[in-house]
Amino acid sequence: MPNDVPPQPIHSAKDALDALAGILGGALPGSIATADDPADTLLNDPDVASAVTGRLRGAGSGAGNDTLCRWLYDAFRANVPELQLAVLRFVPTLAGVYMCRAVSRKPLAGFEAVLLALYAHAVAQRGGAGEAETVSLPNLANPSPYHDAKAKPAELDVAVLSPPLEPHGTMRATRRARIVGAVLELYHGKLSRMPLSSKMDFCEFCVAWAGTHNKADDDDKPRLPPATDAVTGAEKWRRVPLPWELFQPVVRIVAHCLLGPSRSDELKAQAARAAECLYWRATETMDAPALLATRSLMRLSQMVEEPIPEPSFSGAIENMAELEAMRANILNTKN
Amino acid sequence: MAAAAAEWDSGSEAAPTGEWPPATASPVKGKAALPEESDAGASASGSSEAKVDDGNIQEAESSLREGLSLNYEEARALLGRLEYQRGNVEAALRVFDGIDLQAAIQRFQPSVSEKPLSKRSNKLRSDSSNSGSQHAASLVLEAIYLKSMSLQKLGKAMEAAKQCKSVLDAVESIFQCGIPGVMVEQKLQETVSKSVELLPELWKQAGAYQEALASYRRALLSQWNLDDECCTRIQKRFAVFLLYGGVEASPPSLASQTEGSFVPRNNLEEAILLLMILLKKWFLGKTHWDPSVMEHLTFALSVCGQTSVLAKHLEEVLPGIYPRTERWYSLALCYFAASHNEAALNLLKRSLNKNESPNDIMALLLAAKICSSSYLLASEGVDYARRAVKDVESSDGHLKSVALHFLGSCLAKKSRVASSDHQRSLLQTEALKSLNEAFSLDRHNPELIYDMGIEYAEQRNLHAALKYAKEFIDATGGSVSKGWRLLSLVLSAQQRYSEAEVVTDAALDETAKWEQGPLLRIRAKLKVAQSLPMEAVEAYRTLLALVQAQRKAYGSIKNGAEEDEDKVSEFEVWQGLANLYSSLSYWRDAEICLQKAKALKTYSATTLHAEGNIHEVREKIQDALAAYFNALSTEIEHVPSKVSIGALLAKKGPKYLPVARCFLSDALRLEPTNRMAWFYLGKVHKHDGRLVDAADCFQAASMLEDSDPVESFRSL
Repeated sequence: MPNDVPPQPIHSAKDALDALAGILGGALPGSIATADDPADTLLNDPDVASAVTGRLRGAGSGAGNDTLCRWLYDAFRANVPELQLAVLRFVPTLAGVYMCRAVSRKPLAGFEAVLLALYAHAVAQRGGAGEAETVSLPNLANPSPYHDAKAKPAELDVAVLSPPLEPHGTMRATRRARIVGAVLELYHGKLSRMPLSSKMDFCEFCVAWAGTHNKADDDDKPRLPPATDAVTGAEKWRRVPLPWELFQPVVRIVAHCLLGPSRSDELKAQAARAAECLYWRATETMDAPALLATRSLMRLSQMVEEPIPEPSFSGAIENMAELEAMRANILNTKN
Repeated sequence: MAAAAAEWDSGSEAAPTGEWPPATASPVKGKAALPEESDAGASASGSSEAKVDDGNIQEAESSLREGLSLNYEEARALLGRLEYQRGNVEAALRVFDGIDLQAAIQRFQPSVSEKPLSKRSNKLRSDSSNSGSQHAASLVLEAIYLKSMSLQKLGKAMEAAKQCKSVLDAVESIFQCGIPGVMVEQKLQETVSKSVELLPELWKQAGAYQEALASYRRALLSQWNLDDECCTRIQKRFAVFLLYGGVEASPPSLASQTEGSFVPRNNLEEAILLLMILLKKWFLGKTHWDPSVMEHLTFALSVCGQTSVLAKHLEEVLPGIYPRTERWYSLALCYFAASHNEAALNLLKRSLNKNESPNDIMALLLAAKICSSSYLLASEGVDYARRAVKDVESSDGHLKSVALHFLGSCLAKKSRVASSDHQRSLLQTEALKSLNEAFSLDRHNPELIYDMGIEYAEQRNLHAALKYAKEFIDATGGSVSKGWRLLSLVLSAQQRYSEAEVVTDAALDETAKWEQGPLLRIRAKLKVAQSLPMEAVEAYRTLLALVQAQRKAYGSIKNGAEEDEDKVSEFEVWQGLANLYSSLSYWRDAEICLQKAKALKTYSATTLHAEGNIHEVREKIQDALAAYFNALSTEIEHVPSKVSIGALLAKKGPKYLPVARCFLSDALRLEPTNRMAWFYLGKVHKHDGRLVDAADCFQAASMLEDSDPVESFRSL
């Protein structure tokens, strides 16, 4: 595939992969273009991931004429679920770089277009009007599938997990945290499909966003090598404002990385560090819900998970008896 | 054992050493080879543990020889178990592979004639004919369970899960009609319980999250006769999985639920339900205390902002679990998050008592933070913050900065209600000193930067205020509305109105329509300040349209909007317009606006004061005075009314001068930067012949004239 094809409409994962190869050019190994499952390649292939995230982190990315942003936008808008997953996979880097640079008020129309497209999708997913996501708190006086109760039904408290989403056609600074927060909620919903490296990226940006490295690093933690930074010439990712509307989805994703079903110790270590940084960030304003949530995560990260019980074998003597019994059984049934 | 393992890895066909006979290498039913296999396994497993089991193996051999053709599955099961027990997982697997579970199930299954009467309702129904085969079934089922464990140990989670699932399926089909509780063999029950517990973990490891979810529900909602501890473990793991799994789960569909029962609609609800059940089980003494349950619940409830519910659960925790000061601190966090500041502070006071833990930094910081939001508590907050500053480790710059920040905020708050000028200026100096010290330790905390901006502005150091207002906007990327407003007001205080307007317009660009109210109000006031009445009216009109639209949109929903400080009330708009019209001497218009304002808020000091103003300008002095006094009686500390009364009385003649002075001084105590109060006080002094004092007052007034913002900094 020639490198300088004009962008073509994306209708399938194959189109997307071809278009991406065109944009990234030499950054991708040639074998990628002939992958059997293009959607899976886009989502999981480490070469694709590092090429794309490398570009997203690179200097000057995210401007209005950024072809990669254009690709993310088109790929997401193609309305192919697998492709949307592949785009969401890059949300940590996208949001991470964007938030850091947006504070410095650089023009980032490319990033913003992608984020707004994702946001619009989130609004549509919430019944078009972007209704609030609520949680009814159980009251144990009511029976439930998991327990019995006789008392008469009690009133339920309803909590708002995520407030209504207003439609936004432009990225206004005061709504930035909400928009990015809603995009992170979208990412949160697909976490089980996201590859490990995407979550690693997220935790890395969390640490930068919290901006409290010094505090966390004092405790002689094993420093995780900033592998990706070294490659891109180390743009300093700076701390960003973290109002609750952004902090809450961030902390939920960190919780998943820390306590979710992944078995990667590397991810857990990085997530624990992120949780700690966020905790120290919350102490700055003594933000109570943030303190409670992150403190619990820190404590949980230090607790040992209960292992699945091993099979128990009674002592040798009992085995003997069992064998005898079995032999007798065999003899009896034979006749 | 290592040799054996290598053997299996290298391929099953060739086994040149002869340790493991090729016949057994394939799962073909090579019965003759079995005894040797077990023998070899024993010898390969190393000397340490081999001795103990020698007897068993001999027994196994002979049992196999005797019962050769009939109990093939049982024999395999037994041998595999021995291998597993010895840690020869691969070998065990080879042996288990020979077991045909389906065949076994069919053999153990009850005949059609004894079909159960009630199928699901009770697994433990009487069925005595099965007692003999129950033992055999138990053995085979255990074998499959062990096979699953072996596979898991070899990292084949998916296969392991399938095997484990087949155990549960087999149990359901073999014992369709259930077994009477007293007759369930212990071993069988153990195998069942362990498989039930294992299955979801295997699915999780295999990455099959939907299956994991289904198997958790199957574990908890079917009757497996699990003991409390086992059930507790499963419930906890399920809750954790729901909470952090990142899986979009469909809620449990349960047709058989009774009315009024709570059926969770999403992961979070289900997780919270399970965690609450777990806590309750502990209260009832059914399980041991597990600290992680409370932490998970804390996370879940604080993420959705339900900290008052969390507080209830924390309060229910029996004494002896948490040290009481820790519990008080946690509860204080919960109450503070739920805006029950007083309750939170009371708990912290107990905790910070000298007999408890008076040096707890986090508790001190929280107490100082709570106090910094109230004039009445500021003084107490200063004390907490001082203790925090003193106790925090000198190396910990971060917390030290936080403590100094709160100290500065409390001092600043305290200075606002200081009873004397002298005390006020002392407190103000100290406040700025603390804030500056905090800033030198942490230059990136936007809240601190903002508070410094406000404090400098309040003290009319507008140059510094401007610097910090700009710095705040840089630190937040303009994402916080109050930063824009502060900058705009500081510029207006410097009489740089057009720049203030530019800032306001930039802020409007960065603000969504619904939240533009406060900015539009500032814009209108900027127009007024620039004597651009037509533009001011226009700005007010825009604001009014917004406010009315908001009322229509939210009025019907009533979602607690009254506490929203970022909303402009319609009353304010009419009031502002009234002031504007009266300044233009458009009395009729002003009165109409006041009527509108009154209709929205009957007893308002601001409205009454404006009325008085109109009367005063029309020279109806008595009416004016009456209106001002009415304003004061609705709001005892209404500064503009005090000033107006003082001014009016000062004009009435020498006899009234002391009273006038009293009102004006009182106004200045409340608002030391009130320019008009200084001006009239100067006049009073002049009439009384105290020329030096008068000069001082006039000087203060003229200095302040150049530093009045269009809106009080306290409105931010």
